Amino acid sequence: MEVKILSEHYDKPSYKSLDGYKELGGYEDLAKALKMDPKQIVEDVKASGLRGRGGAGFPTGVKWGFLPENGEPRYLLCNADEGEPGTFKDRLMMEAAPHQLIEGMIISAFAIKSHKSYIYIRGEYNDSIRSLEKALAEAYKDGLLGKNILGSGFDHDMDIYVGAGAYICGEETAMISSLEGLKGQPKLKPPFPAIEGYLGKPTIVNNVESLASVKYIIRDGVEGYRKHGTEKSAGTKLFSVSGNVVKPGNYEIALGTSMKTLIMDIAGGMKPGRKLKAVIPGGSSTPILTADEAMSANMDYESIASFGSFLGSGAVIVLDDSNCMVDMLGILMHFYHHESCGQCTPCREGTGWLNKVVHAILKGEAREKDLELINGISNHMMGKTICALSDAAAMPALSFLQKFRDEFEYFIKEGQSKVRGVGYAQMHH
Amino acid sequence: MPKCTINGKEVEVKEGATIIEAFKTMSEDIAHYCWHPGLSIAGVCRLCMVDVEGARGPQIACNTVVKDGMVITNQSEQIKDIVRWGMDFHLINHPLDCPICDQAGECGLQEQYMKFGQYDPEMNQQKVKKRKVVDLGERVVLDSERCILCSRCVRFTDEVSKTNELGIFNRGDRSEVGTFKDKPLNNKYSINTVDICPVGALTSKDFRFRQRVWYLKNDDTVCNGCSTGCNVKAYFNEEGLFRVKPVYNEEVNGHWMCDDGRDIYKYVNKEHRLLKAKNNSGSQWSELTAGKAMQELHNSLFAEIKAAPEKTGVVLTGQYTNEEYQAVFATLKELGVTQAFHWNDTDSDDFDGLLIRGDKNPNTKGLQNAASAFGALKSVADAEAAIASGSLETVMVLAPENIAVYSNYDKTFAALSKAKNFVWFGANKTECFETTNSSNTWMIPIKSFVEKSGTFTNHAGLDQTFNYVTTVVAGALTMSEAMTLFKGETLEFDLRAKPMTSMKNNHFTLNRGEL
Repeated sequence: MEVKILSEHYDKPSYKSLDGYKELGGYEDLAKALKMDPKQIVEDVKASGLRGRGGAGFPTGVKWGFLPENGEPRYLLCNADEGEPGTFKDRLMMEAAPHQLIEGMIISAFAIKSHKSYIYIRGEYNDSIRSLEKALAEAYKDGLLGKNILGSGFDHDMDIYVGAGAYICGEETAMISSLEGLKGQPKLKPPFPAIEGYLGKPTIVNNVESLASVKYIIRDGVEGYRKHGTEKSAGTKLFSVSGNVVKPGNYEIALGTSMKTLIMDIAGGMKPGRKLKAVIPGGSSTPILTADEAMSANMDYESIASFGSFLGSGAVIVLDDSNCMVDMLGILMHFYHHESCGQCTPCREGTGWLNKVVHAILKGEAREKDLELINGISNHMMGKTICALSDAAAMPALSFLQKFRDEFEYFIKEGQSKVRGVGYAQMHH
Repeated sequence: MPKCTINGKEVEVKEGATIIEAFKTMSEDIAHYCWHPGLSIAGVCRLCMVDVEGARGPQIACNTVVKDGMVITNQSEQIKDIVRWGMDFHLINHPLDCPICDQAGECGLQEQYMKFGQYDPEMNQQKVKKRKVVDLGERVVLDSERCILCSRCVRFTDEVSKTNELGIFNRGDRSEVGTFKDKPLNNKYSINTVDICPVGALTSKDFRFRQRVWYLKNDDTVCNGCSTGCNVKAYFNEEGLFRVKPVYNEEVNGHWMCDDGRDIYKYVNKEHRLLKAKNNSGSQWSELTAGKAMQELHNSLFAEIKAAPEKTGVVLTGQYTNEEYQAVFATLKELGVTQAFHWNDTDSDDFDGLLIRGDKNPNTKGLQNAASAFGALKSVADAEAAIASGSLETVMVLAPENIAVYSNYDKTFAALSKAKNFVWFGANKTECFETTNSSNTWMIPIKSFVEKSGTFTNHAGLDQTFNYVTTVVAGALTMSEAMTLFKGETLEFDLRAKPMTSMKNNHFTLNRGEL
């Protein structure tokens, strides 16, 4: 069952404008928050159990707690560089409710005492960029941004920065590099951004959905926010369901709802005559689940982790029995090969190597031992690099091979897809 | 000072030292490409992985600070496996063109594959094609396919030369080092990028294809290119010298040297050298050995000078060792000669902020120190005037060895050779020698800086003693030897054969030093 907290008014066009937003209770929580002690907001966000909605699932309040306790200038960055294949929830949020994000950001900035924030938007998201630009102008005009916000004495400025199309810039330190005008490449950690981030100053990077959720922690209080979800995965979350379901789209559900409910009920189930084969639960980087695993998993961080995968960004990619897994992996490997920043050797060379080996299988040029090679390459890409892109490429490769090995073996032996009965060229016309 | 245990051995390191520095202090083997002690930490080659007890997983040694009590190893099977695969990742797209690669024999990939790799390669796919023979600038050529993208060269131009010419373009396995359009790699320190390139990607235009490195011996000396006195290693064999590389000295040059300094070996090689002594006491040049020439000079001039020392002067350049200056000044004292002149065509000692100094002589300070006991040095213009007026009849010149930095070389030669007795001590020959103005000209071949031991005093007053490297011109003398012969004494040579060294330790074993 859908639980619409964030997305309650997403269907109303008026919600996009400041007036419409205000009519539906917009910026009331900001006024409330500005009267609170910033420290209390941080504590509340910690207590609410809100976990980063961008993919890693790190507790937002804990992240804020890493900031040094001094008067140094600090930055808040909103990660709106939504690039994980299968994910399209931030886009909906920015287009349907730009003020919700802005309000969440001002509250968050107040909590961490930041006077400057940037929204780093994926360059392809033209509508989101326009929507937020308009909303920012409205907010400035209404005194919701700038000096002395709502008479509270708190100053805050917000800007939009448009990315140039690199997946890696969704990684927080690569985003910081990009924002600094450098090549979008992750930075070596430590130091972590909370200590030394944008321009060498303490910086917090949060996902669009995480920041917007802060508004509802203020509105409903810790108890109210925790009404939905589980003990360790509190609240609601938007899931982008795509693939071979009847009604693909964004759905907000309480964390802990079963995946079966999400796919079979909310998203309308499989297309007629088709059988569920596998689900990628949290964006293309997360290990794939078989149909059985998917049907017994719940949509919360712990349950998905118990199946060896991740809730990730909440991009649920549903595959049915018409999908060739070798072909699917080929698409993913091409993506990661294209997007590796090239900094760390295992990722730079490994993503290219994996792509070549998987495509050798697809073209019928592979050796039997290449399957072990894929395992070897992937295992030595995992956890060996500065950022997680290397893991993101290795995890699908390992899980596809582990769970659908028969299809790979068949392809190597027969030179064609076990599922489709044709070779690579015919599959792609 | 924190103590840690590395591969079972305890070591104490400086506060804030990284694990890789701890490995280096105890000379323990650790694979790495991107880390360089003179550059910032990039952490991209991912080869210096170590197990730290209690850590979540393998850590890179270059970006992990040693904490007291840390127990570190890179000898576990897991780490060895990671490093083997790390080597494989570096090599899958590497062309393996060692037979035609200039770096072969001193290549980080070759060395570390033998040490840490030794796996059976599994790469069965087309390699990535990249640009070959890219002309990066005046002195450096790039082969992108050989490049392992360690980013050392990029960091060098960012952090050391601060000229920012290099960058890494494109991404993923299409990444390539390159320069911006119309902004070539033309800084004064560009060949350092060749030195720190662990593979054959960056090669020096001057050195490439001229000699296989395993046919070269090398020995340490001090650069004679300017008053900084960078510590260098000269590479040579029977055919002469081929290149010069910096040697780390924290007090003087750190890890680097300038591009001009790379050329100092050129004036040392035979084709630029005065091979035999020459005499012209009429209209004809005759050749004789240096020893014989000095004997004849003793017979014909020594007594004459001693009888009228005021008619004799010595012109000195800052290109000789302190020991030679002492020998010269001692001889002058014995003769009663009081006129000494200083010839230096570079009058300022500007500093570029990194290494290069305006005074292009390695030992101006040493000359001044040696002269201070003797009396004030006059300028070379004074000598020319004295010769012109006839008050100076005999002139001995300690000519510069690095002639490229003497802009008035020919003019000065012509003016000084107007003396009645003209004795020219020098390592080099040039065309201007053919037109001497003196009726009694003597040319004595002198050893270059790599052919003798001695001391240079640099701009800061630091004495740097260096040793004999090799012999290029067998018949040349040092100034000390020349003075001994001039005084009529005999030279003693140690003719005992050097003890045999084992093949492993002999000169032919390449000593590349630390990667």
